[in-house]
Amino acid sequence: MADLALARPRRRTLRLRSGHVGTTLAALVLAGAVLAGLAAPLLWPLDQSAIALDNIAQPPSLAHPGGTDDLGRDGLHRSLYGLRVSLLVGLVAAVVATVIGGLVGGIAGLLGGWPDRLLMRVVDTISALPHLLLGIFIVAMLRPSLGAVILSIALTHWLSTARIVRSELLSLRTRPFIDAAIAGGASRARILRRHLLPHILPKIALATTLMIPHAVWHETSLSFLGLGLPPHLASLGNMINDGQRSLLTGAWWASIVPGAVIVMVTLAIAALAARWRDRLDPRVRAELNL
Amino acid sequence: MTLLQIDGLSVRFRLRDAVVQAVTDLTLSVRPGELLAVVGESGCGKSVLAHALFGLLPRNAEVTGRALMGEVDVLRCGEKRLAREIRGRRLGLVPQSPATALTPVRTGRSLLAETLRAHRRDPGLADTVAADAGLDAHALDRYPFELSGGMAQRLVTALALASDPPLLIADEPTTGLDRPLVDHTLDLLRRRCDNGGAVLLITHDLAAAERVADTVAVMYASRIVEHRPAPDVFAAPAHPYTAALLDALPDRAFTPIPGHPPMLTALPPGCAFAARCPRADTACASRPGGPVACHHPLVSEAVA
Repeated sequence: MADLALARPRRRTLRLRSGHVGTTLAALVLAGAVLAGLAAPLLWPLDQSAIALDNIAQPPSLAHPGGTDDLGRDGLHRSLYGLRVSLLVGLVAAVVATVIGGLVGGIAGLLGGWPDRLLMRVVDTISALPHLLLGIFIVAMLRPSLGAVILSIALTHWLSTARIVRSELLSLRTRPFIDAAIAGGASRARILRRHLLPHILPKIALATTLMIPHAVWHETSLSFLGLGLPPHLASLGNMINDGQRSLLTGAWWASIVPGAVIVMVTLAIAALAARWRDRLDPRVRAELNL
Repeated sequence: MTLLQIDGLSVRFRLRDAVVQAVTDLTLSVRPGELLAVVGESGCGKSVLAHALFGLLPRNAEVTGRALMGEVDVLRCGEKRLAREIRGRRLGLVPQSPATALTPVRTGRSLLAETLRAHRRDPGLADTVAADAGLDAHALDRYPFELSGGMAQRLVTALALASDPPLLIADEPTTGLDRPLVDHTLDLLRRRCDNGGAVLLITHDLAAAERVADTVAVMYASRIVEHRPAPDVFAAPAHPYTAALLDALPDRAFTPIPGHPPMLTALPPGCAFAARCPRADTACASRPGGPVACHHPLVSEAVA
């Protein structure tokens, strides 16, 4: 028996391989961004709204690598603080959206019948509306704050998760091992916890990860439109907006620095999430020879 | 006293343009200590019978008749009662096609320990229960996709035994096993019966039934055509279909039965076997009854 034992597949969920330059680069960018965001208040304890009118609109230099804006504030410093906000909002909003989507999709997929039809028509209806417009509507009804932004994102981004969870449950329900578990006397709660959840949790986690860059963009868009955080607090969106005016006077860095930060970080997250998705799918994994 | 008393069980599936008559007017009983083998060709309704008892039939199934376990009619008692009292507790199932009956993302040990715990037994018994079913302890730590068909078969057997139900329904429990393991599994089922348990063995392996069964029920085209003690059935089959089945065995005449079984969507009003039967005559246009459902049985005294 022992010599027939099959080799166990090695676990390599997070191990990076040499040769995947893009993945490594994305991981480094993301790790750098998260570390910089977390450590910013320690490394660079400068009041983000402190105005220095003797130092306005300076191009990038050694003293100010990101230049300064029309109120003399350091562009890189404010970008880091804006990044903190973006990452926090992106993560929290993605998690909240996943919880909402998971609950709706779970109820629809488990109950079936009219609750399923009703909930899915609600999902279709909301999908038919433009996300940003709906998001603007939600923040416009609330006072501008971090919470309002998160709510606006969460309430517009749970739809895909609901659909994923529902369709997974519908297909899992027909698999013979569910019948076998029922025949073994398992209760509905036990089947959900021990037989269904282990299947859908990785997919939900992946959906959440893929949602983070969307959520970050949504926050940036809202802030750019002046509907996000109050203007004195740095956010990548309102920095890009502020920088527009300076662009006309030749101060290109005011918009470019926060813009570059948001593009790099969201691309890094999206690249890593896509790579993770490829690894989770055995067919793609075989194709890529991972 | 009986553990399970099935009276007039019929199962029909309504399709868009046809009705599949999967089980017709089936009456059976299982006593404690009895090993009843239900044998028959693929598609004769054996597995539907098992699924009906567990309430696992799809929604388009129409079930009539009764199946009493004690005072509970498992066909009518409702989902809640089935889940809490019957399934896994008084009625165990060794499911068919074990490879798909195992949750792919969990190891055998995790499934077995959970089952033991759920039935208030020591989860540490997992190795012992697996060994009883002929499965090595190290195979328990693998995921279902890493198991061979035979290993998966022994694992589902172990899972069904973990709750130690008074009546075990084993749906083709020897598929994918080689001869020594088939014998091991059959002996395991026989021992359960000798220790007061009962087993309803669903199989198309007549040699397996001959080895361990006390009684045999032969199914053909949704009905039981012969239901008698096993030694009698194998020594002197009374129904021409049973005789033809036995003659098809390699170590007997090795002669196939001519023709095909009728479609379950278009069963004849009389004897379903008449079209293939050498003894058929005009009487066979009406349906025969009794423990041997034949107008012209090979052993006349069996029709009492």
